[in-house]
Amino acid sequence: MSVGSITVRGVSKKFRLERNRPSSIKEAVLRIGRKSDVDDFWVLRDIDLDIAPGSFFGLIGHNGSGKSTLLRLMAGIHRPTTGTIESEGRLSALLELGSGFHPDLTGRENVYLNGAMLGLSRKHMAASMDQIIEFSGIGEFIDEPVKIYSSGMYVRLGFAVAVNVDPELLLVDEVIAVGDEEFQRRCMEHMNKLRAGGTTIVLVSHNTQLMADLCDRLGWLDHGRLMKVGEPAEVIEAYLAHVDKGGNTLTTRD
Amino acid sequence: MARSFTLSPTLSPSVRKSVSLIYHFAERESKARYKRSLLGWFWSFMNPLTTVVVYSFVFGVVYNAEPPETTNGNAENFGLYLFTGLIVWSLFTGVVNGSMGWLIGVSDLRKKIYFPTETALLGGAAANSVQTLLEAAVLIAIMLVLANLSWTVVFLPVALVLALLFGLGIGFIVSVFNARYRDVQYLVGILLNVAFFTVPIVFTEELLNRPEVPDLARTLITWNPPSLFVEIARDATYFLEVPQWNRLLAAAAWGIVTFSIGWVYFRDQSMAISEEP
Ligand SMILES: Nc1ncnc2c1ncn2[C@@H]1O[C@H](COP(=O)(O)OP(=O)(O)OP(=O)(O)O)[C@@H](O)[C@H]1O
Ligand SMILES: [Mg+2]
Repeated sequence: MSVGSITVRGVSKKFRLERNRPSSIKEAVLRIGRKSDVDDFWVLRDIDLDIAPGSFFGLIGHNGSGKSTLLRLMAGIHRPTTGTIESEGRLSALLELGSGFHPDLTGRENVYLNGAMLGLSRKHMAASMDQIIEFSGIGEFIDEPVKIYSSGMYVRLGFAVAVNVDPELLLVDEVIAVGDEEFQRRCMEHMNKLRAGGTTIVLVSHNTQLMADLCDRLGWLDHGRLMKVGEPAEVIEAYLAHVDKGGNTLTTRD
Repeated sequence: MARSFTLSPTLSPSVRKSVSLIYHFAERESKARYKRSLLGWFWSFMNPLTTVVVYSFVFGVVYNAEPPETTNGNAENFGLYLFTGLIVWSLFTGVVNGSMGWLIGVSDLRKKIYFPTETALLGGAAANSVQTLLEAAVLIAIMLVLANLSWTVVFLPVALVLALLFGLGIGFIVSVFNARYRDVQYLVGILLNVAFFTVPIVFTEELLNRPEVPDLARTLITWNPPSLFVEIARDATYFLEVPQWNRLLAAAAWGIVTFSIGWVYFRDQSMAISEEP
């Protein structure tokens, strides 16, 4: 495998949904012998996907189609139920609000913590600290605990860290939509710069126009299945045609 | 060929990452413990010391309990007898109780970013070990002043390391249970309080050898893992004897086997923590 590639082979993901799942030992004991209410819910089914080094890959699909789950599997947060998922290279991910931030720590401490999670030394992070503070634009709030940050500040710092750690792979869920116009533009610019530097990027967004502009290739997820992968224009066309037909319903658990 | 004497080039990137995370969590645990306190580490000495003073008073003065005899008689003091046992016991219980909180403390983080989750427990345990080292240093300093020190002191770190491994092994398992059912921490707390009296910390072996004590109780109290660790530490720094080899062997087996089982179980289960609602 070459650095910057992601290989997804026959991946399915099942979550266990337990209706009225016991939350204490007492409840669990009271329930012994009764029929369990466990439901299996397949969020992703038989996904095969190759993301080439240096490419800009986009994922689209309805709410609950499994986009975020697929990113989490790529980031190693969840383990696939079946199949394998492999990535090569330093992976940085910005998956949701407050991605990887500990609320009680200050912004600065969180930057070091994130660095440690990516295997970067304190020295390395100290060297990029000014750049991160500058990019995020949060100023002296860097020394305040992140729990007092606004949503936009969370995302700003999160993005600043994610892109300033020399990622070879960058996964971005739609979070940047929380930032203001100016910040969103800066993010786009920076992602383009990273791509030019050879970073592989996977982006999730509902903004089809944006996706058409940015991505080399798109994948369309529908109820956990990968319907189409290919040229952005073609995939968006197929997706929108499906939406027009009214096929774009929220995933139901049946 | 020039040889590098730094540690890092020999470590694989994933090990290096784990080491820096363990360091991070250890640092955070130490800081959090005495956050907003003026005297900081001073309190970490006060806790065991007050226990020793109170127990010495109650057992040594009120009940007039005889401290066990030693070969040289220099340090025959019930407080020191207690302290030796308590150092080992509080390392063990501190790690078991702490591990549940350490895992809960990082579970939100773990839902958003991947990192080897066991580093949170290893970091917390490292912070506790530093505290234990300070206590052990106090004990050794006292024994030095009282001229009750011999080469057998090398068995003290052996006892501590084994108690740490045993505590971590149990901590790995109960922390996973506790992530699912939060009442596990209360149950564990109660069980440890009961277990305290199955370890000869406040009582002596002499007391245990009285004919009224049932054989089964005697066997359990002599051979349960925390007792073995405590007795090895006692032999090392109080009685100044070489621990019995069969106790050493049993203690090593308990420590290593429990740690390994806990580790394997935790590695297998910790991925599921990110999926807990
Ligand atoms: N930890 C979990 N346990 C149980 N179900 C989950 C879990 N995480 C996600 N799901 C379910 O998996 C499905 C897919 O979720 P996912 O977040 O991947 O969707 P998405 O495509 O990102 O949607 P959106 O466009 O709204 O962000 C949803 O029905 C969700 O309820
Ligand atoms: Mg999503």
